[in-house]
Amino acid sequence: MIVAKRKPLDEIAEMIAPYEKVAIIGCRSCVAICLAGGEKEVKMLVSAMKLKNRKDGREQSLDGFVLERQCEKEWVKEVEEKILDSDIVLSMSCSLGTQTIGDMYPHRIVVPGLNTAIFGVPEEQGLWSEKCLGCGDCIIDTTGGICPIARCAKSMLNGPCGGSSDGHCEVNLDIECAWYAIHERLKLQNRLELMEYVRPPKNWSTSHSGGRRIIVREDAKLTPHQKRGQEVLE
Amino acid sequence: MKRKIQVVICRVCSQGVPVLDVDKLAKTAAEAPYVGSVVTVDYACQSKTISSIVEDAKTKEADRVLVVPCSKKDVSPSLFQAYVRRGKINEFLIETVDLTNEVILPHREDPTRAQEKAEARLAAAIARLAALEPLEKHEEPMRTKNLVVIGAGVAGLEAAQVAAGHGLHTILIEKTDRTLKAPGVLLSKSRLLRAKGHGGNFELVIEAGEKEETLECAVIVVASGGDWSQGKGSLTRSCKEAMPLFRLKDSIDSGTLPSGPVVIVDTPDPKGSTMKAQDFAWDDALDLAMIAKRASPETDVTLIFQEMRASGLSELTYKEAAQLGIRFIRYDNKSPPTIDEKDSKRLIVKDLAQDEVVSLRFSTLSYASIPANPDNIGIADALRIPISLDGGIRRGSMQRGPVTTPRPGVFVCGSAMFPKPEAVARAEGKAAGILATQFVASGTVEYGGAVAEVTPEKCSACLTCVRTCPYEAPFIGAAGKAEVRTQLCQGCGMCAGICPSKAIDIHNYTDEQLSIETEAYLRGGF
Repeated sequence: MIVAKRKPLDEIAEMIAPYEKVAIIGCRSCVAICLAGGEKEVKMLVSAMKLKNRKDGREQSLDGFVLERQCEKEWVKEVEEKILDSDIVLSMSCSLGTQTIGDMYPHRIVVPGLNTAIFGVPEEQGLWSEKCLGCGDCIIDTTGGICPIARCAKSMLNGPCGGSSDGHCEVNLDIECAWYAIHERLKLQNRLELMEYVRPPKNWSTSHSGGRRIIVREDAKLTPHQKRGQEVLE
Repeated sequence: MKRKIQVVICRVCSQGVPVLDVDKLAKTAAEAPYVGSVVTVDYACQSKTISSIVEDAKTKEADRVLVVPCSKKDVSPSLFQAYVRRGKINEFLIETVDLTNEVILPHREDPTRAQEKAEARLAAAIARLAALEPLEKHEEPMRTKNLVVIGAGVAGLEAAQVAAGHGLHTILIEKTDRTLKAPGVLLSKSRLLRAKGHGGNFELVIEAGEKEETLECAVIVVASGGDWSQGKGSLTRSCKEAMPLFRLKDSIDSGTLPSGPVVIVDTPDPKGSTMKAQDFAWDDALDLAMIAKRASPETDVTLIFQEMRASGLSELTYKEAAQLGIRFIRYDNKSPPTIDEKDSKRLIVKDLAQDEVVSLRFSTLSYASIPANPDNIGIADALRIPISLDGGIRRGSMQRGPVTTPRPGVFVCGSAMFPKPEAVARAEGKAAGILATQFVASGTVEYGGAVAEVTPEKCSACLTCVRTCPYEAPFIGAAGKAEVRTQLCQGCGMCAGICPSKAIDIHNYTDEQLSIETEAYLRGGF
């Protein structure tokens, strides 16, 4: 899932300080699950801001609510009135939700309440670790199911490097060496010969290096006829 | 619903420390919304008073009762449950306020503030009580009448004996290989691994010898005892003959009296000790010191300690011991007693009272602390019961539940909590046996009430509650949303607190109800 982390209160307060009516919008999806922007976090932020405003002697109207998925226009549309009624929207979703609202209402100011951080796995309650960078060309079939792009500090395709020691990474001894992990996994699966397989340079054009990426699935797209039908229905 | 509150204020404890004007408090409370009438009573903690409070409320047609006793710890709403059952008052509509700990003790120097705070506390409690809803409890039959006793020591055997005498099928789990004459089944060389279920219907996984076994039981008594094995510490390292107190007791019991000077220290490791005073078996230490002194009055007997904890009747023993000529030396952690490097039969200690270093010759050196049983951690973990800082199993309440734990159907006795004299362990074993019998007597388990409930529309199925709950109550149901197994829910509120989607509420502890209470308190009165 997308894992995000709430921005420090002071930073949030500074962003919304000049505005009187603030709509704080959370999301029930990824950021709720990673305990960053669900209903609880929204309510807590509203309370924290109220306390801070009282302490600083500032008047501000703060309204907090949550959408099912903030990255989808249909859900955003449901709270259109509240968005238009506010002076600023503080989005407590990942940057996708923030930008969805921003794109839908270009005249309105939408600011992020969270730092969208990683594609992560909840290893345990309260601990998420990054395991994918979204490079667009998955190769983990040859690396024992462990992604060296995300989990190796150098994103090495043929590792480990000379800095691997006792299964740890030279960047930080708290980080596991991805290539050590790959070696151990392949050994377990009796596929160690894959360690000797030389992976050629990767085609990074599917990654961010190729500019903003768009995914199209032609068979799922609506035909012009269907779109017209939908407009009629609306 | 009518929401009529009967307020009952106990005047006894506030008389002792007269900082509160109870009559004034009663008068102001009477004007609060929803309050039908206010009465004052003496000793709200006595069962006679409790039953009359409930009767009085019923005749005045109140549907909820607020009791203002000295302490919430001693007069909890659960005390009233037996009296309101099948009555007109729902047991979840009884609340208490703790005046002693919240008002009288912290503000005894300032009666004005005390009165203000008492009013605010009462206003908050009344507002909360008016916002509560009556709750239902449900019943489920017990599948067995088994009692599992963990530990076949003095306390555990006693508990098993008593319960077996009342017809319970007892199973003793003992970690050593000793064989004893015990009622029911004795599983030696075995230990508790995991526990599932709830009071009345537990499912335990036991490691017995080499294999794992599953056991069903209705009730559990923890009698794991203290760690009576050798204490390891600086004294035992530098003096091989240093022995735990119980060994000295054994030798005195078998007729061998110590021949020379006797020194008893509170712990084998005076320097590294983070020991609590209660770890020290003071009763035994004083008794043994006196036996040794009486046997040969010219022998020097010395007790070295950080804190004297001879409470209750032991206080007299302490006095008597001092009169007999037993020497008491108090030290602190900065200068703990050590064995003299030149003479291994001398102990050097700085006497705090005299502020001087003394050197004591001894022929018998004994230490009286008994560390908590390290197995307690595993047991408490499996049974989800709290453990104290010293590693003992924590009991419910000193006065109201000395052998209970916060979990229904789990009792504790003997030195599993902290070291105790044998007679006390035996008495507690008996008590735990009786309570266990009482627990299974009805053959049914009650559950529900102030437990968690999920609002499915809000649930994101994020598994946070499933991961957080210590009792494994929440699960993701067929509809793809979290559900709570009410039987397992203890109403602790951890899931409701952490749910990122605010999809879980504990009945009668909803955000709204808590806000009403807090706001009334912050308004500072009626």
